[in-house]
Amino acid sequence: MATIRNEIRRLRFEHGEMTQQELAEKIKLTRQTVNAIELGKYFPSLEAAFRIAAVFGKPLESVFHYSEDEGAR
Amino acid sequence: MPFREKTAWISLLSMAGIYGLYFSSVIRAKSHGGAVAFGGLLGTIIALVVVQTVLTIAVAIFDPKDAKAPQDEREKLIELKAARFAYSGLATAVVFAIFFAALPSPIIFGANSLLLILVVCELMRSSSQIIQYRRSA
Repeated sequence: MATIRNEIRRLRFEHGEMTQQELAEKIKLTRQTVNAIELGKYFPSLEAAFRIAAVFGKPLESVFHYSEDEGAR
Repeated sequence: MPFREKTAWISLLSMAGIYGLYFSSVIRAKSHGGAVAFGGLLGTIIALVVVQTVLTIAVAIFDPKDAKAPQDEREKLIELKAARFAYSGLATAVVFAIFFAALPSPIIFGANSLLLILVVCELMRSSSQIIQYRRSA
């Protein structure tokens, strides 16, 4: 099974301990959705993923990591 | 708890409570050989609208910022999935209704039976929304 991990939590802290609410307002999502993304319980749309990466000034692949589980192959 | 999850709870609990009272009065009336007057249904619908409106306004007053925020993509997805789940229930109920109506001695679904199907599907929709919000919280 494929998984998508992300570095949002770490990046928030590196950007002046940005709160989930502040990030949510910048990318026009709710705080609950940002929390769900951070916890890997919701995978954002490509557009939202690009907006998140743009907030941190990072390329998409530095924020989100896609990996396929070895057992699924 | 997000505003839309709260409204889903309001919808679920108010519909279960108010329609629960209505259908229990229908069952009581049937067991005594009578029927609930049309006014009973009208009163139920008015009570439901009033209760849901008052509670939704109360929740919005408590957290106006959350209430004013537009739906984001996750909330839209949750709503769509819940509607699809409720539709599957509605479609299944319609198939059963057609099947029973086609029997040699047909069972015709009355207005209250159809209303019950709609209420159950609406409860399925609200429940599905709440479960999805809880799972991703």
